[in-house]
Amino acid sequence: MIKHYGYIPVIFLLLLILTGCYDRIELEQQSYVIAVGIDKGEETGTFSFTFQLANPEVGATLSAGSDEEPQETVTITGSDIITATNTANSFITKKITLDQTKVIIISEELARSKDFIRVIQTAARTPQIRRSVQLIVSKENASDFLNNNEPKTETRPHKYYQYMLNRASQTGIIPDANLHRFFQITEGDADLFLAIYATTEISEPKESGSEDEYIAGQVPQQGGSKTQFMGSAVFKEGQMIDILDGQDTRICNILDKTIEMEELLATYPDPIKPEYQVSANYSQKSVPLVNVSYDKKNNHAKIDVTIPFEIEIIAIPSLVDYAQNNKYNQKLRESIEQSIEEKTTKLVKKSQEEYGSDPFYWSIYIRRYFKDIPAYEEADWNKVIYPNASITINYKLKRLEFGKMLKDSKLNEVRD
Amino acid sequence: MHDQKTLKASEMFTMIGLFIGMKVTDTTPTLFAQKAQNAFWLIPIISFLVILPSFFLLIYLLKKAQNKNLMELIESLIGSKLGKTLGFLIFLSSFLLMCLDSRSYVEQIKLLYFPASPTTVLFFLFLCVVFFGAKKGLEVIGFTVKTSFLFIKLSALLLALLISVEIVWQRIFPIFGSGLSTILKEGALKGSIFSEFFLLTIAYTSFKDTKQFRIGTLFGVIFVIIEITFFFFVYATVFDYNSIEKASFPFHDITQYVQLGEYFANIETFFMVFWLLAGFLRFIIYIYLITWIFGAVFNISEFEPLILPFSFITLIIGMVPDNSVINELLFRDMLLNYVTPLFVLFPVILWIVALSRGALKK
Repeated sequence: MIKHYGYIPVIFLLLLILTGCYDRIELEQQSYVIAVGIDKGEETGTFSFTFQLANPEVGATLSAGSDEEPQETVTITGSDIITATNTANSFITKKITLDQTKVIIISEELARSKDFIRVIQTAARTPQIRRSVQLIVSKENASDFLNNNEPKTETRPHKYYQYMLNRASQTGIIPDANLHRFFQITEGDADLFLAIYATTEISEPKESGSEDEYIAGQVPQQGGSKTQFMGSAVFKEGQMIDILDGQDTRICNILDKTIEMEELLATYPDPIKPEYQVSANYSQKSVPLVNVSYDKKNNHAKIDVTIPFEIEIIAIPSLVDYAQNNKYNQKLRESIEQSIEEKTTKLVKKSQEEYGSDPFYWSIYIRRYFKDIPAYEEADWNKVIYPNASITINYKLKRLEFGKMLKDSKLNEVRD
Repeated sequence: MHDQKTLKASEMFTMIGLFIGMKVTDTTPTLFAQKAQNAFWLIPIISFLVILPSFFLLIYLLKKAQNKNLMELIESLIGSKLGKTLGFLIFLSSFLLMCLDSRSYVEQIKLLYFPASPTTVLFFLFLCVVFFGAKKGLEVIGFTVKTSFLFIKLSALLLALLISVEIVWQRIFPIFGSGLSTILKEGALKGSIFSEFFLLTIAYTSFKDTKQFRIGTLFGVIFVIIEITFFFFVYATVFDYNSIEKASFPFHDITQYVQLGEYFANIETFFMVFWLLAGFLRFIIYIYLITWIFGAVFNISEFEPLILPFSFITLIIGMVPDNSVINELLFRDMLLNYVTPLFVLFPVILWIVALSRGALKK
């Protein structure tokens, strides 16, 4: 009989443990924020926050045919992201949860102001926002961006951002701009951070230029969603200073060994018939070799960058026989290397002269010449070493392939 | 319960692996990074070197004394009165460390998974689990640790693999972080992060054979130092120097950051399960050993009923710091510094006494 009573404390304890469920909250009582937009408020110190809330019911098989909207967008004024979610609850029935947030969108106006670093700092403090959230700078107000963004085929917003950004960063036209990286680079105070540049306002399409020399809004498109992700916003010490187009962003991605990039399609000038372009698939199998030699006495660095790459020719509209003619082949190789080298050197020069720091995360190579951090910080990478460094860029074409066709059809025979 | 003697080297190895290896997932890395910046991964190595000679000296003395555990050895060498005082000091410092350590665990659980729950309630529940675990005795603890060890360490390895794409090894430079002297000083002062080694020696005679204890210890010690250094290295290279000292819980920051393919984007709960289990086991071992030392000091051979009051006192002392920042950066930091000399010195004193008495010649 005595053994019987042994269960009483167990039951008692179970009760205790179960009442410990303070944080129990049902799925349907939560509202998941997929994107947060931040704009400057009317007064200093205030910001306006826009939350894009996902409707979990849309896309679920059970509710097929429901006419509920896949998302809801609300805007609140507040001083920081967390209290703003609280205020938003005055008219949103469910508890706003930031766990699933995929992107933070900042208006260009805010990004260029000194206040940006204040508001983004709160995002790091809360455990709700992950360090993998991507930072996007929108040309217009972030609230307009979120309201205008109407994806046509991918209606579920969380998938939309995930797929869109994955695809665009694979091709290198936007940078990898997660929060973790932002803090790393900004707190490291040596390099430049690149955020994704996007817009929903289509401006005058740029007249000339190759397929990737655009920034968001300039890509001439017809049909489809109005939202464009292209190029990057350059941040120096937590403040936006410039915009790079898709091509420059690609170069940054190529030169930065911490960013993984898959193959990308680009066009290069045709060396024999300059009025045409050669389309090629650029792929980089190994990281660039950045060789830094540092002269301690003069605090001067010499940076030698070698980038091994491979090219697969996709289209030769000029129909010049590059594949089988050795001389032409050599010419094409040299011309591709030269063209890409020129563009890179131009960007490097710009970063040295205009930005005074590098968007390639190269400061990590100089660090081993210093024995401790005080010495490293005194040498000052972004004010002294980098702007005065002598930099040589060297692209090495490892392999040139011509796809599955050996030869283009002979134009004069076709027209015979 | 502790005289059935079924424990073997594998239990000892896994117990060390969990008991001390868990330090990579709490605030210890941040505590070090605050001082040494990106060179904080070197500190465990130095601490280890500081504490190791003393620890091996103690193992050597235990081996010479044969069938004596830590307290019996101390008392036989320096007499009952002095021995009990020393034993009580060891008990007191370890107990305080445990209180602050467990508070840090509870803070992590609260902040990351149960933000609305009161700390006291979480602490209470945490200690309930620890109490029921510890009550089972060393055999059961050893067996549980052995069976779960592989899964816990595999989950940690998976995390390391997933984060490996983010590692930029150049971030360990400048190699001496905030300066060589800082690293050496901090490393020496923080020798006490390995003080748990000494607590385990109270169980010296509970093993099937004392040789099993020594073999398990040797491999466990090697494993733990490699594991800690490796994980600290990962943190240093993933975060970089200014970011790591701001992240209170780098382990959890990393679990939130990694994703397993496109579909499994938020997988931190997977790691949380293993982390929580390991955390429970760690404190089960901790409180059991500390109570045992207390029992040995005050000649209480049936010490297991004492686990309940000690769990309760842990809760009270653990709740003293206002918040986790004070707990970690002030109290725990200070305590670790003060405790180090005790653990470094006492085996040396014992050895000198034994030497002068000729007790080692046998």
